[in-house]
Amino acid sequence: MFLPCLFTALVVFVVVSPASTFAAMADDPLQSPQWTDIRDRYLGADKVVFDPRVAVSGPKIAEDSMNVPVSVKISGLVDVRRVLVVADLNPIVKVLEFSSKGALPSLHFRMKLQQGSPVRAMAQTGDGVWHVGGIWIDASGGGCTAPSVGRSAAGWTETLGQVQSRVWQNETQSRVKLNIMHPMDTGLAPGIPAFYIERLSLQDAAGREWMTLDTFEPVSENPVFSFDFSGPPPAGLTLVGRDNNGNRINARVVK
Amino acid sequence: MNHKFQEVDLMKRTLTSVLVASAMITLAAAPATAAVTDKDIENDAKSTGDVLSWGLGTQGQRYSPLAKVNTKTIKDLVPVWSFSFGGEKQRGQESQPVIHNGKMFVTGSYSRMFALDAKSGKKLWQYEHRLPDGIMPCCDVVNRGAALYDNLVIFATLDAQLVALDQDTGKVVWKEKIDEYSAGYSATAAPIIAKGMVLTGVSGGEFGVLGRVEARDAKTGKMIWVRPTVEGHMGTKDGKDNGISGTTNATWPGDLWKTGGAATWLGGTYDPETGLAYFGTGNPAPWNSALRPGDNLYSCSTVAIDVTTGKIVWHFQGTPNDGWDYDGVNEFITYKSKDGKHLGGKADRNGFFYVLDAKTGKFQRGFPFVKKITWATGLDAETGRPKFDPANRPGDPAKSADGKKGTSVFSAPSFLGGKNQMPMAYSPDTGYFYVPANEWGMEIWNEPVSYKKGAAYLGAGFTIKTLDPKEIGGDYIGAMRAIDPATGKIVWEVKNNAPLWGGVLTTKGGLVFWGTPEGFLKAADAKTGKEVWSFQTGSGVVAPPISWEQDGEQYIGVASGWGGAVPLWGGDVAKKVNYLNQGGSMWVFKLHKSGK
Repeated sequence: MFLPCLFTALVVFVVVSPASTFAAMADDPLQSPQWTDIRDRYLGADKVVFDPRVAVSGPKIAEDSMNVPVSVKISGLVDVRRVLVVADLNPIVKVLEFSSKGALPSLHFRMKLQQGSPVRAMAQTGDGVWHVGGIWIDASGGGCTAPSVGRSAAGWTETLGQVQSRVWQNETQSRVKLNIMHPMDTGLAPGIPAFYIERLSLQDAAGREWMTLDTFEPVSENPVFSFDFSGPPPAGLTLVGRDNNGNRINARVVK
Repeated sequence: MNHKFQEVDLMKRTLTSVLVASAMITLAAAPATAAVTDKDIENDAKSTGDVLSWGLGTQGQRYSPLAKVNTKTIKDLVPVWSFSFGGEKQRGQESQPVIHNGKMFVTGSYSRMFALDAKSGKKLWQYEHRLPDGIMPCCDVVNRGAALYDNLVIFATLDAQLVALDQDTGKVVWKEKIDEYSAGYSATAAPIIAKGMVLTGVSGGEFGVLGRVEARDAKTGKMIWVRPTVEGHMGTKDGKDNGISGTTNATWPGDLWKTGGAATWLGGTYDPETGLAYFGTGNPAPWNSALRPGDNLYSCSTVAIDVTTGKIVWHFQGTPNDGWDYDGVNEFITYKSKDGKHLGGKADRNGFFYVLDAKTGKFQRGFPFVKKITWATGLDAETGRPKFDPANRPGDPAKSADGKKGTSVFSAPSFLGGKNQMPMAYSPDTGYFYVPANEWGMEIWNEPVSYKKGAAYLGAGFTIKTLDPKEIGGDYIGAMRAIDPATGKIVWEVKNNAPLWGGVLTTKGGLVFWGTPEGFLKAADAKTGKEVWSFQTGSGVVAPPISWEQDGEQYIGVASGWGGAVPLWGGDVAKKVNYLNQGGSMWVFKLHKSGK
């Protein structure tokens, strides 16, 4: 779990050398020193375009580095297969990955920021092309290396995996907001092992998946996710998931 | 947020939520390497390229048939690599590693697991279990090792859970809760595998837990049977009642059996030839024996359980109505005697060594393996039952003048035992058991107590004392002893200043290996006890060594890291151990080859 930290430290030197990386960095609208590394690491040799249809929104300055609200909304882009969310300058870069399998291709969540950083969404369409959008969010820092609040509360095992929900609906769309009790420890605070939800899936009564998420350490403690649906939420919607210790989450969203 | 939604449901709904402990978690990854089978495990004692079980074979003999490292070559035994467990977590390292397919799996303190390349020590992955703050391990945050089955490596955690990880990735494949850590349950022993099942016990004997043995499907974690080790409790198999253990109230008065202890905290052994799993059981709760007249079955015993039926076939109780915390958890190691009998040996915490028939549990003989025993004057020659010295039983507090403290007595061995958790070894070559023994005593007295969930349930006060050097032949506590189970004779011994707390390995190469709290891994000639080699590991050794072969070379490995129960409970013993520093590392050795 310390690997991403080392890795980010090392690539600072790598970025400076090859001439081609200057061009690539110049392409990046966010002018991030990490961009070429992130592209090579997560997108490989696939074609990449910076695309305003992949919209990331969040605060200019994070008030609370451990709970930074971020929205990803993709509109006008068809056949989106999966979406990666990364924070370039976090010690653990990858925040989450999601696939809308029936839910709208948008996601609203809270995350930790160790310092001011670009936060990007990278959406891959069926033709293999990655469409990248992002913003800079400034932060006073420390969100990843501080112990979770739950660490100091003795009763965290009693609430672990509990889920609360809220549902909103208008004529055309609905939103399901879920709050999952979990310490989401990054493993970067001394003496506290990494402990985080790694897989979530929204399933309907028939077992069909509407949204899947792979989540990582930078997602905030007691994570909050909002999912959007065209029309009302599917009947019998259930959140199923697990953390990296094998603890399971299984909660029915009651309409 | 950007979207405009009409709020139709203002109620914040609390959903049913949950940690489903029972369902299997499916992972896409298929085993990339040869899976460990029941046959591999049954053959573990003979196979040299792997170490699949705690005990180097489920019988627990800790005998390696490798002989490249022997009394002649051992002078060239040198370190190959050392690996640090790291973190802020340097506590007792009591783990025996297991080896499969060139990978070593070793557990560390605080429920951690490390996968290492066995030849180079390169780290492959690491799993750290998230522990609640409220865990209640009685005797340091140790773990004694893992079991291998299929593509899984399975270990128990301090918050009483059982975790199965993928050997290649370290990802959790299944996880089961053994019991509530908040009620005092924990788990530190290495699981063993028998007929596709993973067998485990429970820790928490100081908190009035219910001792038991559980068998789960090793591939999925699904419970198969549960066998309580306290009389009166119902066992189960496939979710149905499977008969009560013993006869309710036959050896326990009133309701005390309900919180009777008899924790199976050191795990067990399994002999495929008898089909029996042998689990030792801890002290009855509370410590104050005046509260529970009777034998208090099956505390301080070895129980033999038919792994197919989940029922107790026989039991042997070393300390009936225990009043000294003489847990009978010590490993029962089966072997073939020189005259062809199928027997088992056990060096009990109470200071006696017992030889029993492996199939029937019939007492063959018993004898002291420590030099001072005060609580009993000997054993009944027929049954092995101790002849108690009534004057040496701590007094009933109810009979004292103020009702608050019973008569204090000086007893030996101390409650940490003639032998504790450190497993002994048996060599079919010499026919000797190699027993890491300790000579010490204690002042012990009883106090009134009542059971409260999650609180210590002792009802006793105690302090450990060293013994008079004149009585035991020198100023020492630890003694590595070669014991002939046929005669009861101590053939040789190597004394040690501090108490021995690590286990033993013996080999075809005619060697016995063990570690000391002073940090030395030592080797002696198995026949004579002559010390032939030692190496300073940098911290105290409280773990059993192993040996395996890879690419034609024999390796010896041991975890190093001082801790365990001695520094916590040591009393008067502190002067022999309080200068020792903590650590946390894995050491591996092989024979030096000169450059070409």
